[in-house]
Amino acid sequence: MKTPSLLPYPENITAPVEILIFLEQLFFLIHILLINSILGISIILLYKWGNTEDFFLINKLLSKKIPIFFALAINMAIPAFLFIQVVFGHLLYSSSILMGKYWIFVIPLLIIAYYSSYFHNKKFDKSPYARYALALVVLIVFYIAFMIVNNLTMMEMPERWSEYFTKRDGTVLPLNERSVYPRFLHFISASVAVGGILYSLYFKFTSSLEDKIKEGLKIFTYATTIQIIVGFWFLLSLPKETMFKFMGDDLLATTVMFLGITFTLLSVVLALKGKLIGTTILLLLTMVTMLINRYNLRIFRLQDSFSVYELKLLPQWDVFIIFLLILLIGLGILLYMFKVAFSKNKEVLK
Amino acid sequence: MNYPVWELYYLNSGTLVAVVAVLHVFISHFAVGGGFFLYLTDLKSVKERNPELKEYVQRHIWFFLLITMVFGGVSGVGIWFSIALSSPWATSVLIHQFVFVWAIEWVFFIVEIVALLIYHYKFDSLSDRKRLNIAAIYAISAWLSLFIINGIITFMLTPGEWLQTNSLWDAFFNPTFLPALVFRTGICFMFAGLFGFVTAVFSKEEILRNRLLKYCAKWLYIPLPFLLISGFWYFYSVPENIRVTNFLLNKQTANAINLFIFSSVLLYLIAIIFVIRSSRKIQKVGVFILLFLGFSWIGAFEYMREYARKPFIIHGYMYSTSVMKSDEERLNREGFLKYAKWSKIKEVKEENLIEAGRELFNLQCLSCHTIRGVKNDIVEKTKGLTYLGMISHLYGQGKVLDYMPRFIGTEKEMEALAAFIIKGLHGKDIEVDYSSSFTPKEEPIEFPTFNAMTDEYVLLAWSTLGEKCITDSDKWFSFLYPGSSFEAVLIKRGIKPEVITNSVEILYEVQKGFENPSKNTEFWKYAEQLLSKKLEANKGLSAKGLKGTLDFNKEKNLFSAEGIPVLPYRDDGQFSPYPVFEAKAIDKSSGKILQFTKLIAPVSTELRCFVCHEGKPKWNNITGISDETAMNILKVHDRNTGTKLYKNALKGRPVMCQSCHEDFIVKSKGIKGHNSFSASMHGWHANYLPYKDERACNLCHPNDTKGNTRCNRDIHAKLGMGCTQCHGKLDDHAASLLLSQEGTRTAKILLKNLNPENPISKISPRKPWINQPDCLGCHEGFQKPDKNAKSFNKWTTEAKMLYRNRKDNTDKLPCIACHGSPHATYPSFNDYSKNRDNIQPIQYQGVPLPIGAEGRCDICHKVKMKDSIHHANMLRDFRNKKTLQE
Repeated sequence: MKTPSLLPYPENITAPVEILIFLEQLFFLIHILLINSILGISIILLYKWGNTEDFFLINKLLSKKIPIFFALAINMAIPAFLFIQVVFGHLLYSSSILMGKYWIFVIPLLIIAYYSSYFHNKKFDKSPYARYALALVVLIVFYIAFMIVNNLTMMEMPERWSEYFTKRDGTVLPLNERSVYPRFLHFISASVAVGGILYSLYFKFTSSLEDKIKEGLKIFTYATTIQIIVGFWFLLSLPKETMFKFMGDDLLATTVMFLGITFTLLSVVLALKGKLIGTTILLLLTMVTMLINRYNLRIFRLQDSFSVYELKLLPQWDVFIIFLLILLIGLGILLYMFKVAFSKNKEVLK
Repeated sequence: MNYPVWELYYLNSGTLVAVVAVLHVFISHFAVGGGFFLYLTDLKSVKERNPELKEYVQRHIWFFLLITMVFGGVSGVGIWFSIALSSPWATSVLIHQFVFVWAIEWVFFIVEIVALLIYHYKFDSLSDRKRLNIAAIYAISAWLSLFIINGIITFMLTPGEWLQTNSLWDAFFNPTFLPALVFRTGICFMFAGLFGFVTAVFSKEEILRNRLLKYCAKWLYIPLPFLLISGFWYFYSVPENIRVTNFLLNKQTANAINLFIFSSVLLYLIAIIFVIRSSRKIQKVGVFILLFLGFSWIGAFEYMREYARKPFIIHGYMYSTSVMKSDEERLNREGFLKYAKWSKIKEVKEENLIEAGRELFNLQCLSCHTIRGVKNDIVEKTKGLTYLGMISHLYGQGKVLDYMPRFIGTEKEMEALAAFIIKGLHGKDIEVDYSSSFTPKEEPIEFPTFNAMTDEYVLLAWSTLGEKCITDSDKWFSFLYPGSSFEAVLIKRGIKPEVITNSVEILYEVQKGFENPSKNTEFWKYAEQLLSKKLEANKGLSAKGLKGTLDFNKEKNLFSAEGIPVLPYRDDGQFSPYPVFEAKAIDKSSGKILQFTKLIAPVSTELRCFVCHEGKPKWNNITGISDETAMNILKVHDRNTGTKLYKNALKGRPVMCQSCHEDFIVKSKGIKGHNSFSASMHGWHANYLPYKDERACNLCHPNDTKGNTRCNRDIHAKLGMGCTQCHGKLDDHAASLLLSQEGTRTAKILLKNLNPENPISKISPRKPWINQPDCLGCHEGFQKPDKNAKSFNKWTTEAKMLYRNRKDNTDKLPCIACHGSPHATYPSFNDYSKNRDNIQPIQYQGVPLPIGAEGRCDICHKVKMKDSIHHANMLRDFRNKKTLQE
């Protein structure tokens, strides 16, 4: 243990740690998919802004999705943020405080981005400012993502926390940590890739515009190719001991990493062949494996300071079961609402 | 102490939480109430087949979505972010304790979000029935979110049984859960109406607009009775001690209460413009005024609720400084920094005092205070304090005003924090030596003579108090104004001496240089304000001056004068706390001087308030309460009790402290419910002063052996006795006074944290100036006291039993006549000149012993007597003669 004295005492947990980690990862997956979609679509729209005559016409509905995705992405961040705090909260709070000044700006900026996305949607084809509003969305998401990368990096490196004693005003960022930049770029390129797929899916299910579907897959291919390079950069930027864990030292981690790379390569192949559904499935599989990689990375980096099995379990099974029941009811109600909203309305409108 | 502290000195993280939280709750209550508003209004539009109303609903949904889902939703996450930065440990406790409750809340939230999105985006395409179903789902899930959050928020204020059981259900369904839920539901409906105005007022068509505004006004007014009833229910569900602490003692809450009441009244009054006919312009302006009032209303309410929790963040479990209550004792014993994970300094040393203080400030103060920042600026709050004042503040912090957490840590750590604030922030010196080192100027007295062969009379005259203290800060306040009291008896010598009461006159006159006290004090300028009586310069309350006649006091059967306004200031700038008066007994008919003597008027302004409250001695840098000190005192009083004494004094209306606080010695009845002056002063300061022995007494009483008065100067002091042997140590003394206050609320508060040597249950209550230590408590039967004798708790039973009022067995001679003034009993040892207090013993006997001691009955009786007629055990040798030789 390199810096045991700075690690706060964790609280007891109320369910087995595996359940909590599973829930965190599950909701994070949904969250990151939505965020990637927002950013990816926004970048694509910005890139293509007004370059064809029918740009506004065909993309109007797509622009409408951005604020809706925002609502859902923020919502899905909540359980992910909740469950990460239950397991890693004592680390996350510390790293958040270390960069408090930058961290707290996430909230007002998110509000601005959210409103900008509405502005962009409402004025999409009416105002030249719509483009700037969308650019603002992208810039803010960049900022937020960069801060999250910094925060999680710092959270995983308690050995660097003593920097607090030289800067206590919440401005400690691990900017000289090599992995921060590829990790951030890894998110950006993933977003463009997901955006590309979403672009294709959108046109497949709304207008069946073949060239647009292909265009989306092309974007996916380029972005994923860059993603592979950035991914290796990210891997190489890690401390050697950690890096080797993914390269044979840890069998499970290596297997997952290998699977992830395989799914990625396969998805590129399918994208090049124009197989949208196959690519989408492989993309999802890639994301699942990358999520596990991400978790493994956290555990490897924290291995000298903290193990999730140190947490004392004082179960609250009764509340947990009630949560599951309410979740089921909630899902039922969501299904009902989706059915109401998206089924062909046969009722006569009164 | 478990987490790092975000060192935001200008805008502390607590303020950040407050800003985010108030904005969020304003919107979130609207989000809940608005759900029902939308559903019921939409239902109304369907039932009435009213397309205009439906169009209004659609418009309102869009506004609602933009406000609640975007701002409300993200600011909710903002609270989470900010509390994790401000109070990470408490956040962690809440997250872990309620993890699945939060998760349940999230389920309601996702249902809410999806319902709202569908309601908005599919408004036109859904059938009425399905649309209303969606609206109902939104309304119910939004209210269920409130249900969940309410359980967690109320838990923080009233964790109830959870503290013992640690059961989640006890935590959630805590004592204020239900009333708070009803109250907040009322707020939600009220805010639904409030925000309804916003969209209604922008309806272009006048009839519809007026209808809508009236409709929204109903949403505002209908919940009012529920709000009132549940508000009181909520308030009285909070345990009494919390209410007293935070709604009575914490004056900061008063602002929130006033704002809450003010905005409630205005809100409901202004809303009338939507019920009666008014122009659109007025309506538009009115809406935004109402929104602002609603914002201040909810802000005030949440402020009160937050403050009600003080000094805890989770009541009874974790202090607002993020220190667990259960750790307090250990940290006080073993040291706070030692266990503070994120403190660079683990042990306070001389060389790291300020740095250690900074660590302590960050860990124990910064969550509520800023440094020259926007809220609770510590520099402003500690402006009038010295280093000792700061230490005293920290020592007493959280005891009387228990909305603040106590300082947690060792004495050394307390000193470090005080040093950081006083030296590090104020730049003041912390090594000031406040110990007195005054050199009294010896002024020999010319003793009057007595011829035992020829003199027919003995005149005994004395000051009734051993030390008359004067505040001399009359521009600001007074609790002791000039006015010494003299008494005298004239004895006609003989075998059977006679106390002469008729046909004689006793005159007195002060020594030179003291005749015009008004030159040295502002008392006469402010006397009318202070005493409600205009006084002639140099005359006291009973119109006596520095030269005059003692009146015959029939009740006491002696001559007396009260209110002689002598000061310890000589015109030439000399501080002289023992001015000499001449006294003459004159035969009225012949004008013949029957006897002449001198007496001392012990008088002092040595109140060393400046040692804590800053400033310098007022008079020639020697003594007295300076303007700076007095102002600081008034400001503290105002801050702690909500008075406006400082402002009034600035307007030329100084306060007589006893106008509120009853005081026997100045014949003031005070205000009912207030503690007596003495009980208040001792009770308050005992909670703060870290000293409990004579060092504490000497800060306020002119008793320091190196001070400029040295009032405890009699034989008892010479034998090594201090204040505490008779009066008790500070906490005991204060407790005895507080116990006599018939259980006033403030007396109980002042008493609860005292730590007297004697158990409280064994301390006898005493009224100040009436129940004093009884001499016979030690000198049982007038005998030599036991070695361990103490007079504490052995009080005189009534005023006439006080030493200064008591008489001998013949009921003719007061004890004080022969033994001298209290604290100056013969032989007394006055540093301003030997035998200064013993003038009459020296005059009549040549030795400074009590009149008649060592068998000198002849002074009055002309012959030696055999019987102990005045009191038992009087015919004996003086026991402590060796003190006279030192």
